[in-house]
Amino acid sequence: MPPSRTPDTKLSHTAAMILQAVDAGFIYGFSIMEMTGLPSGTVYPAMRRLERDELIASQWERQSIADAALRPPRKYYKLTAAGRVTLESSRKRYPLLERLIPTEEARQT
Amino acid sequence: MKSPLETAACAVNVGILRAASLFVPAGQRMEWRSEWRGELWQARSQTSSRFSWAQECEIAGFCLGAFSDAFCLRRIDRHVSAVQASQSRSLPLRAFSVESAWQCLLFMVALAGASYGLARILPGVRAERSLPEVPVRSGLVLIENANNEDSPPTISSGQFEAWKERKQEFFDGFAFYRVTRERVNVGPVSQGWGVASASSNFFAMMGLPVRFRQTDASTDADLPRVVLSEDVWKREFGADPHVAGSVVRVGLRRATIAGVAPVSPWQLPGKVDAWLIEPDSREAEKGSGYVVAHLTPSGKSKMDAERIRITSYSPHRSPDDLLGIKINSATRGPWDAFLFAVLLAFLALPAITSISFGEESVSLHEVSWARRFFRAAFLVAKIALLLPLLHFASLDISYGFFPFNVNEALYIQLVVTFFGCLFGMSWVLNDQRRRCPVCLRRVAHPARVGQLSRTFLAWNGTEMMCMGGHTLLHVPSLPTSWFGSQRWMFLDPSWKFLFAGPVRD
Repeated sequence: MPPSRTPDTKLSHTAAMILQAVDAGFIYGFSIMEMTGLPSGTVYPAMRRLERDELIASQWERQSIADAALRPPRKYYKLTAAGRVTLESSRKRYPLLERLIPTEEARQT
Repeated sequence: MKSPLETAACAVNVGILRAASLFVPAGQRMEWRSEWRGELWQARSQTSSRFSWAQECEIAGFCLGAFSDAFCLRRIDRHVSAVQASQSRSLPLRAFSVESAWQCLLFMVALAGASYGLARILPGVRAERSLPEVPVRSGLVLIENANNEDSPPTISSGQFEAWKERKQEFFDGFAFYRVTRERVNVGPVSQGWGVASASSNFFAMMGLPVRFRQTDASTDADLPRVVLSEDVWKREFGADPHVAGSVVRVGLRRATIAGVAPVSPWQLPGKVDAWLIEPDSREAEKGSGYVVAHLTPSGKSKMDAERIRITSYSPHRSPDDLLGIKINSATRGPWDAFLFAVLLAFLALPAITSISFGEESVSLHEVSWARRFFRAAFLVAKIALLLPLLHFASLDISYGFFPFNVNEALYIQLVVTFFGCLFGMSWVLNDQRRRCPVCLRRVAHPARVGQLSRTFLAWNGTEMMCMGGHTLLHVPSLPTSWFGSQRWMFLDPSWKFLFAGPVRD
């Protein structure tokens, strides 16, 4: 299935927030919810669409790691190359995005 | 250790997720559940260990978001499937496409087969089909007082006895019945039935054979006999064919079930659930009731259409003006109801859709006679399959789900057949209009052409394409005098390069 969005596609503010949250290190659904304050009915469908458009990719956590932490395994998300380019253009479109959800580097500086 | 409330809340959350997962495409369901289970664990781990309703509501709200996620996944999956289907349809080797004529016919055959199979399984339909209607004897009249139009029971048992004993010119037989409400005990259950106390010759005179008649002579011959109505037999005895011989209590008396009255088209006054056949010696105890009489040939000659006027002379009374109303024996069974509803639906069809195909061709291409024949045969086959499908489906719905009242079932069948035939025929005609005249596939990929604001300057409407590459169909959005009906444009082989498959003609 080819991506239906090009890297310079204009994302909605919600999708851009989620993309920014993933880039900031909030890499599973519940942590993105907590960070953005968006409800589950918004976050998870938006993530499905971002994954469909190949802006993010998902990967299951190894079972051994989850077992060691005494919890079910999580599904982690990360930005793809196309997602990174789209996020860059979204940051220009939404200048407050980085202040709302600062990346780890920004938090350290 | 979790409290019972916490355990119940967890179960509710898991239930919500499981319910939502039913909307997720089957291939992704397991993985989706695993992800949400992990997320739910995460949500629960963030809450305090003490139970609170506010907290549980928040988690339930979180779980309800799973429905949006499931619907989203379903939409994505449907979109992917549609794209894949449109890609695979254009493959040249795919001769049996989703919209092909054969598949349409097979689908209808499968539906008709399923409705027929259901009719063979459902007990209500089986009972109805296994019991042919018995027409009542000809020359029967119901005698009632000429001054009472709402036909209350007006004939006293004394009058009946007098008529029976006297030699009659116009009648050769009388039967009497009187309907009362009685408590009837079937096993431990007591119910109120309409019980008709009838003279012993009632069924013989009506010409109606009692079904499942008791043949065992060992049962108590002194007990009065009860003949059940069709509805009661189905409702209270589960259409048990071995019901004869059972003993029920009617009012204060015990009675033996003698059989089941046949399904018959006549409608006598009074709602009767069972006939209590009385010995003739007890008839004098009765009050007013109804009298059914059979006309002699000379009586039939005096019959004026459906009625005969009768004057009864009694030794110590003034003459009574009576009316004999013919008991209609015309059958009104499921098959008649079906045919009548189909006729009505065909008459009403032009009100909901155009019955004309109204097609024109904008190219010089002529469709061969063989293809025209196959197209007409396809239309006839669809109609021929629709009718048995409707017949069995209407039987399934009316007698399978409402088997206890034959008359109500008949009306339900009438309504189901009428609307089924109306919308079924509408679908058949609309489907035929959208089939390529060359390969009988449904045209696809509708595209809007033109602008509504330019209706009178250029055509605007919808353009659809045959995926076999044979035709384009132009349907005007607003019929005009110069573009009133849909038009086919036949594509010559120069269009071939646009289609992945060869143009077949």
